[in-house]
Amino acid sequence: MQHTSSPPRRPSVLHIFKIYYPDLFGGTLTVIRDICASLKDTFASAVLTCSQSADRREIIVNDVPVERVLSFGNVMSLPAAPAYPWRLWKKIAEHDLLALHAPFPLADLVFALGFGRNRPLVVHWHADIVTHAGLRWFIEPLMRRTLRRAKAIIVSDRVLVDETPLLREFEDKCHVVPFGIDTSVYDWPKIEPHHVNDRGRLVLGCGRLVPYKGYDVLIRAAVNRKFEVWIIGEGAERPRLEQLISELGLGDRVRLLGSVSDCERIKLMCVADVFVMPSITNAETFGLSQLEAMAAGRPVVNTALDTAVPRVARHGMEAITVPPGDAEKLGEAIDALISDPERRRRMGLSARTRAVSRYSATAFREGMESVYRAAVTAPSNEAAPVAEAPQPTGWLDSLRIAAALAWSDMRHRYVRSLIGPFWMSLQMAIVVAVLGSVIGQMSNADMMSRLPMLALSMTAWTFLNSVVLDATTALQNSASLIRDRALQPVIFLLQCTFRQGLFALHNACVPLLLWLLLTPHDLSGALAALPGLSLFVICTFGLSLVLGALATRYRDLKPIIESTLMLAFLASPVIWSADMINHRSTVMRLNPLTHLFAVWREPLAGGHVDATSIVYVLVAVALLLCASVLTLVHLRKAAFWI
Amino acid sequence: MASISLHNVCLDYPLYGAYDFSLKRRLLGHLIREKGEMRIIRAVDNVTIEAEAGARIGLAGPNGSGKSTLLRLIAGVYPPSSGRVAIKGNVVPLLGLNAGVNLDFIAEDNIALLLRISGRKPTRTVIDEIWAFTELEERMQRLPLRMFSSGMLMRVLFATATAFPADILLLDEWLSVVDEHFAEKAERRLQNLVSQAAIVIIASHDQPLLRRTCTSIINLDHGRIASTVAVEPPSPLSFELREKRA
Repeated sequence: MQHTSSPPRRPSVLHIFKIYYPDLFGGTLTVIRDICASLKDTFASAVLTCSQSADRREIIVNDVPVERVLSFGNVMSLPAAPAYPWRLWKKIAEHDLLALHAPFPLADLVFALGFGRNRPLVVHWHADIVTHAGLRWFIEPLMRRTLRRAKAIIVSDRVLVDETPLLREFEDKCHVVPFGIDTSVYDWPKIEPHHVNDRGRLVLGCGRLVPYKGYDVLIRAAVNRKFEVWIIGEGAERPRLEQLISELGLGDRVRLLGSVSDCERIKLMCVADVFVMPSITNAETFGLSQLEAMAAGRPVVNTALDTAVPRVARHGMEAITVPPGDAEKLGEAIDALISDPERRRRMGLSARTRAVSRYSATAFREGMESVYRAAVTAPSNEAAPVAEAPQPTGWLDSLRIAAALAWSDMRHRYVRSLIGPFWMSLQMAIVVAVLGSVIGQMSNADMMSRLPMLALSMTAWTFLNSVVLDATTALQNSASLIRDRALQPVIFLLQCTFRQGLFALHNACVPLLLWLLLTPHDLSGALAALPGLSLFVICTFGLSLVLGALATRYRDLKPIIESTLMLAFLASPVIWSADMINHRSTVMRLNPLTHLFAVWREPLAGGHVDATSIVYVLVAVALLLCASVLTLVHLRKAAFWI
Repeated sequence: MASISLHNVCLDYPLYGAYDFSLKRRLLGHLIREKGEMRIIRAVDNVTIEAEAGARIGLAGPNGSGKSTLLRLIAGVYPPSSGRVAIKGNVVPLLGLNAGVNLDFIAEDNIALLLRISGRKPTRTVIDEIWAFTELEERMQRLPLRMFSSGMLMRVLFATATAFPADILLLDEWLSVVDEHFAEKAERRLQNLVSQAAIVIIASHDQPLLRRTCTSIINLDHGRIASTVAVEPPSPLSFELREKRA
C-alpha cells in the first residue's frame, strides 16, 4: 500500500504578541508556546513579535517560525517598534486565523484602523491594562474595537469576565478555557530522594522580575524569619530587588536565580517546600507558575486578587491566600506552612489532584482547538462590503456630484442677482480699501504697493473661513440627500470647498485688478507660489472635513469654531504682515496659519520660504491627513447624526 | 448580475438625545465619571435576505417595524452593526420623494441637478421627455418650483426619479403619495420600471399593491422578519375556482 494522499492543508494561525522566546520567559509566553505545540497537528502556527536584538529577524522556536520586528526599547511597557503595524498588516493576508494575545495596543491600533477585517480574529485575554492605567482613556476605545470584531475571546477563568467591565460588554463571545499543563513531567517517581530538601524551609517564587509580581513584598516578608527564598526569573526590576536584599541584610537567605532551563525549573519546583505567588495587581490573571507548583505537589501562598489567582489555588485547600502587598501576612502564612509539615503534605496532595483533574493539557488543547476551529469556519461576520459597494464608482462620482452641486450653487447666485457672487467681491474691495487706508495710517510704509497682497490675503482668508463655516452645517442641510438618496456624506463637505473655491475665483479679481494697476508686472513669483497655494487648499479641505464631521456629531462645536476662526484671523498675519511688527512674536510663530500663508505669500512676493514654515505646513498636512482618514471611517455613521 | 445578500444583519440605531450632541457635556461626563449611557434600539434584528435578479420583494409591517431602515441599510446609508451585507449592482434608492430639491431653482435646473446626482447626464432631450411625462405646460419649466402646487411638484419629481431604469430599485411608500389624477399613469410607469429592474424592494402598507407587484412579501415586526409569504402569480384559473366555490 502506498500512501499517496498528502494530509489536508492545515489552517494557519498567526499569534500576535509583544515578546516571545528566546528574549524572555514567562507565563504568557509559555501559554503561546503550548498552544503552538499542542495544536501542531491541526493548525500551522506562526508568531509575529518584537525584539530588541537586531541580529536575526526570522527564527524558528520549537518548530514555529517567529518573525521579530526590531524594537527600540520599551515605552510604557510597550515595545517601540514602528514597523510592527506595517509588518502585521502584511502578514495578516498570509494566515487563516489571527490570535491576538491582549493586551497589546500596538496591534489594536492596526485592527482599529480596519485592517485585517476579512480574517477571523480570536483574542486571548491575558490581562487588563493595570500598570499604566492613565492611558486607559486612549487605549480602551481601541481595545473595544478589537473585541467587537473578534470572533471569540478566550479567558482563563470566568472571574475575568465578571471583573472586567470591558469584557462584560462582550460576554456572549467569551469562552472560558483554563490553562492546562502537562502534569506528567512533574510525576512523583522522577523526584529522587536526594533532591528532597530536608531542611524544610525552602520557599520558591517564579516569574519575570517586573513590578506587578510583587517580589519586593516577598523579600520584605523574609525579614526576621527563618525560611530561604529563591526566585526564578529575569527582568528590569533585578537591580532594585538586589539593592533591597542587601539593604535588608538578607543576602544569605534570599537568592535571585535568574532565568533557568525548563528542566531545572521543574526540579526546583519539586524540591521547594512552599511556592509563593506574591503578585500585587490584577495584571496577574491566572498564575501559570502556581499551577506548575501545584502539579509538582507543592502548597501555595497566593494573594487575594480579583482574578483567577485565588481560584486556581483556593484558600484553605491548596493554598493560603493573603491580602496583596501585605509583607507581614505573607511572612506569617509562609511560616505557618513551614512549621507544619503535615499540612504541607496534605495541601500539596490536593494541589496535585486539582492540577491533574481540572487543569490538564488535554482539556486545554481541546478547548483551544474547538474555539479556533469555530472561528475559522464561521462565516466572516464583518460589516465591510456595504462601504465597498459604492467604492468602484466611489471617488470620481463623489467628486463629480460635489462639483455639480457647487456649480449649481454658484449659478443660483447669478439667478438671484445679475452680477451674482461679484457682490461679495465688491464688498471685499471696499473692505480692502478701508483696511488699506487704516493700515497705511498706522505704519508709514508704502501702502499702495501692499494693497494687492492685502487683497489676496483677504481672498484666501475668506475662502478658508467660509469653507470651514459652511462645512459645520453642510451635512445637516443635506440630510435628505444623505438619508433618502444614499449619497455619501463626504460629497457635501467637498461641495463646500468647491463652492467657496468658485467664489474665491470671483473674489480674486480684486487683487488681480489691483496688481495690474499698482505694481510692476512680474509673473515669476506666481508659478513658485502654486505648490504652496495647493497646500493651502488641501489644508483647508482637510480642516473642513474634520471639523465639519465633528460639528455635526457635536452640535455645540459650531460656536466654538466660529469664535476660534475670528481669533485666528486677528492672530494671523492676514491684514498685517510679519515685518510690520517689530519682532516675530511667539504666538505668531506657533500659529500654523502664519506658515500656511507664508508658503505661498513669500514666493509670490519674490522672497523664499522659511524651511520651518515648510516643515510646519507638511506636519500639519500629515496630521490632517490622519485625522481625515479617521473622519472618513466615522463618516459612515453620519446618517445617524443628522 | 444584480444580487442582494443580507446575512444575519443587525442594526443598532443610536438614539441621540439633546445632551448626546454636546461635546462639552460628554467631556464633563468623563471627568465626573458619569456613566454615559447611550440609548440604542435594534431597528433591524437578525435579518437574512437573499435576492437574485428577478426578485420582487415587498416589505410590510406596522409603522416603526423597520421597513425604511432596512431599505436605507441596503442602500448603504446606515452601516450594519453586525452581519454581512453584499450588494451587487447599481442601487437606486427612491426613499424620500423630495430629497435634493431646491425650491428656489427653476424646474429645469432641479431636474438637471437630480439627474446629475443619480449619475446621468442631463441633455435637452432627456429633460424634454421627462417634462412630457408630467403633462405640465412647457413654459412652467422656467418657473421656480416654489410656484408649483404640491401635486405638480410630485409629478415633476416622480417623472425625474423614474426616468431611468435601475439594477436594484428601493421604493418606500411611493405609490400612495402620488396624487389621484396622476396615479394610474404613475403606476403603469412604475410597473414598467419594476419590470426592467433586476431587483425591486418596495416598502408599503398597501397590501393589494404588494400582492400585485411582488413575488414575495416579508412581514417585519420590531425589526425582525415575522414571516415570509410567497405570492402566487394571479392566474385566471384560480379566479375561476374561487368563483365556483363562492
